[in-house]
Amino acid sequence: MMRIAIPKGRLQEKALAVFRAAGYDVPGEDDLATRKLVFKRGDIEWIFVKDCDVPVYVEHGAADVGVAGLDQILEHDCGAYQPVEFDFGRCRMMLIAAPGAPPLTKIATKYPRMARQYLESRGLRAEIVPLGGSVELAAVLQLTTHVIDLVETGETVRVHKLELQDEVAQISPRLIVGKNVFHTEQKRIRELIARIEEAKNASLQSQLP
Amino acid sequence: MAAKLRYPTGVRPLLIEETARRRRVEARFVGALERAGFAEVVLPIIDYADPYAPFADRNSVRQSYRFVDREGDLVGIRSDFTPMLARALAPSISEDELPLRIFYRGDVIRFEASRLGANRELFQIGAEIVGDGSVEADVEMLRLAAELVRDSGARPTIVYNDTSIVTSLGSSAVRAALVAKRMNDSVPGDRRDVVGKLIGGAATIDDVAPFAPDAAARLRAIAGALIDGDFVLHLDDVDEAVGYYTGIRFRVYANGGRRKVAQGGRYDNLYARFGTAAAAIGFTFTIDDLD
Repeated sequence: MMRIAIPKGRLQEKALAVFRAAGYDVPGEDDLATRKLVFKRGDIEWIFVKDCDVPVYVEHGAADVGVAGLDQILEHDCGAYQPVEFDFGRCRMMLIAAPGAPPLTKIATKYPRMARQYLESRGLRAEIVPLGGSVELAAVLQLTTHVIDLVETGETVRVHKLELQDEVAQISPRLIVGKNVFHTEQKRIRELIARIEEAKNASLQSQLP
Repeated sequence: MAAKLRYPTGVRPLLIEETARRRRVEARFVGALERAGFAEVVLPIIDYADPYAPFADRNSVRQSYRFVDREGDLVGIRSDFTPMLARALAPSISEDELPLRIFYRGDVIRFEASRLGANRELFQIGAEIVGDGSVEADVEMLRLAAELVRDSGARPTIVYNDTSIVTSLGSSAVRAALVAKRMNDSVPGDRRDVVGKLIGGAATIDDVAPFAPDAAARLRAIAGALIDGDFVLHLDDVDEAVGYYTGIRFRVYANGGRRKVAQGGRYDNLYARFGTAAAAIGFTFTIDDLD
């Protein structure tokens, strides 16, 4: 039995598409319309968890394999292997502020750990204000001078008339594999990685003109 | 703060049943180690941070609880037995006493912020052979680790590798690629083939032999001696940080489970740092992980 963690939300559909393309029997839309979070298909159990929890499940061995963004991997200091980097769902972690904002003294973010590392790497000092969501508002309402958050299309930033000031990190989703399961189930895990890699390359090919 | 019911994160008391279980496991381990010719030493729970500073990597510093004692010295609570044993033994061992077979038991305290819910106080039993750099000592310790798992009624899986292989492949990019299990652009051209094979699980001892001939010869000898299926050579199993290991490195699993119950390896330069050169190999079981 192998347990695969799929992140709900932004990456869910694309992550499932990769596994489907790799020949796995993944739960369909009808299944997902129910409230169930665990689906058994053959000898694979698919679990659907909040994106920020995927690294936690995999790190602890509650799931063997998962799909997680580098943002969540870094924020959880997750030590799982990252054998495949996907081309979908790429975005950037950015430092954002309102035009004419005062100097950086407070940062609102969902990623306090990454924010701390960013400040350290730039030799900056600022207070970090952890928030649960809609982080841009903190800059709009001047709760903080700055915000660190993911930027995909930049639409949210434009709507709120904010500006991008610095790139904190480039973020891509990855296939993550627990260290221990990699060693105790090496053959099955390697086969899974090879199939995912192949499906990823095939989808790249099909996008060529 | 009102802490009537709570304990600090990661620690808790063991009450009657759990303590009885812990003591049963402990007695079984101690009995097996004594029968195998190992003698016990007791190490202090705190020690100065200073003697360990030259080789304490960022991770081990981050993991240890440290404080300034009343004399103004920086001290740390025990978080790893191995360097402490080296510091304790090195000044007093003499050539003619070697090899020594030593075991120890006790708690280590580690601050592991990333592992939510993980214990911070871990009860460990470890064993070492000091002063024997031979392949036979490697094989003896691997077999002993497997035996201890079998004594617990479980089937062992012992994954081993030689840490000097990744070191001899040079470039930190190679280690990064093997740690992530994904190729990166910074791996030098002449290493890409072997690193690719290692990541893909296709590499054999022959593939790494040109880069690390000594490690390859040693792994061949070990693999030749440990032919049963409980011992598996994973050439791509690489530690994130260099640490003090110099040769064979292994992790022990029980019943194909997802958690490792023990880990260990060879550290032939550690004793020299405390004044007396002596090769050494050892392992540590975390007893909370074994029934």
